[in-house]
Amino acid sequence: MAGGITFTTVDSTKLATAEIFGKTIAELGEKDPSIVCLSPDLAGSTKMVDFLTKYPERFFNVGIAEQNMIGIASGMAKCGLTPFASCFSVFASLRALDQVHTDVCYQNVNVKIIGTHSGTSFGQGGSTHHAIEDIAVVRALVNMTVIVPADGVETANAVKAAAAVKGPFYIRINRGFDNVVYNKSDYGFKVGKAVEMVEGTDITIIACGSCVYQAVQAANILNFDHKIKARVLNMHTIKPIDKDAVLKAVADTRKIVTVEDHTVIGGLGSAVAEVIVEGGKSCILRKLGLQDKFSAIGLHEDLMAMHEIDAQGIVKNALEVMKIDAEKDEDWGDEV
Amino acid sequence: MAEEVKITQGDLYASRIFFYAAVPLLKVVCESEAKFGDKFKGRNFVFQISALYDGEGSENGKMGTHFVVEDGVWTTQAGKVHENPDVELCFSNLRKFNVFFAGKGMVSVLPKMKGVFKNFGIFKDILTALLRMAGLMQAKDKPEKLEDQIMLCKLYLYLLPNGISQLNKMGHPDIKAVTENSPDRTYALIIEDYPELQSWLRMKMGKSMSGRGEYKRCKPFLAMKFKNPSLALDIMMSKADMVAYIREEKLFVDGAPEFAGVVGGLLFKVAYYALGEYLAAEA
Repeated sequence: MAGGITFTTVDSTKLATAEIFGKTIAELGEKDPSIVCLSPDLAGSTKMVDFLTKYPERFFNVGIAEQNMIGIASGMAKCGLTPFASCFSVFASLRALDQVHTDVCYQNVNVKIIGTHSGTSFGQGGSTHHAIEDIAVVRALVNMTVIVPADGVETANAVKAAAAVKGPFYIRINRGFDNVVYNKSDYGFKVGKAVEMVEGTDITIIACGSCVYQAVQAANILNFDHKIKARVLNMHTIKPIDKDAVLKAVADTRKIVTVEDHTVIGGLGSAVAEVIVEGGKSCILRKLGLQDKFSAIGLHEDLMAMHEIDAQGIVKNALEVMKIDAEKDEDWGDEV
Repeated sequence: MAEEVKITQGDLYASRIFFYAAVPLLKVVCESEAKFGDKFKGRNFVFQISALYDGEGSENGKMGTHFVVEDGVWTTQAGKVHENPDVELCFSNLRKFNVFFAGKGMVSVLPKMKGVFKNFGIFKDILTALLRMAGLMQAKDKPEKLEDQIMLCKLYLYLLPNGISQLNKMGHPDIKAVTENSPDRTYALIIEDYPELQSWLRMKMGKSMSGRGEYKRCKPFLAMKFKNPSLALDIMMSKADMVAYIREEKLFVDGAPEFAGVVGGLLFKVAYYALGEYLAAEA
């Protein structure tokens, strides 16, 4: 049950990613009458109340039945509507997987799934409510575009981009309380194109979602405390992943750390690894995230620290990677 | 038997730079300028420059670098002594070798010349190329002709990173202090629009290596990019202020600018030995 749990961030209005999603979808609804919203009795938790208030005839509470919600959304899309179906990521990606696979992806219909409370962001909700495998699952589905926004502003960009393009989208947002990464929306968001947050040539940190803020903080610490120049990429689109940015990172820095609030199997780190292997140029890759284990229960920030996907954890791992001597057999002779 | 003269640590640093980084540039001159290179077409010989020395790193009482020329193609054996070269310039000790190559009184330190009469033609052509190299590198002012500027830039660009790497391999404390604390980083010197006028220095946790041309392994941590050969020579010959050139956009630093000073410090350290400044300091 989502309600009644103490929030840990004071300025909730400013920081709530889901709030911004709710406002954005309400704005889009005004411009595009084909947009409808569906919720499995989670309109409050998934912040769709604005849309519900403005367009009650275009809002459908399907009850606590995520599988039905996806099936209904698929049917609506077949009828020419643009359904935004929102529920907890863990249920959208696992409980309703068959419907997402067969009704949405196989049909290649215009359904937008907004997965909320992703990763360990609903930390106190327990392991049943943590979505730590959803990226791995949904990115394997044919036709699915997968976006993991870094904060509220990027969520708004992602939702607008999804509405503008036909086809299935999975947008993975958190419970609602993310640190602000962007102050303006016109920073160049484009589906499938990573955003370089920090320049650097020593090492590249590739992050998504709430880990982007942590990665930027880590780059600052690495610079000021250790004189290490880390490049930070916000890889908001996991599928299709920005291959050019990954290969450039390999070519330029030869060391990559990926950071995600997700298991390290199948998610961002794996997607990056696939690109590296296909590229044929070697590099050191360390994948930060949940190391093939369920998370403990607790506050999100504490869990991020536990899984070393907070700034300090990233710094620690980046420094370790910097010390790896992967080319011991190199000839260190001078050219004459 | 080496002449009795006290060889200092400064002599050893300087001779390392000369044998491993400066003398090998003879091949660069011959390969870059046809008027010198063409003279060796079809020829086969071994040419060596050496100095008598019995200490660490010597071979058969000498330190030296030799070139094997086979059918006009040059191969450099830096820091390696050949037992029976066809032509050899052999200095009586390391100090004289350093003084000669630093351009600090050449007449008083002339080397013994072996094989000259037997191979006079080779000797004459080698000497011509050596004088070309010395004429460029020991000049106080930059040359006026563009072709000479390009050649001198090439020699400096190939010498300086190699010189730093040699000092590091010798354990020079100032250089080692930088390399030992360095993650895997490469510093590049680039003259824009001249692909051959590039060189680089890579360092990683105490190790170092240098190379010529574009660094392709990864993006250099820092690249100092000069607009043209003339501006590059202003900096490399200490005729202009690096910071002023950066400000005036004559020199572009691609990378963390605070590290440009680190590179500058290393380059000056090579110059300290290669220009023989250490001789006056030790006198």
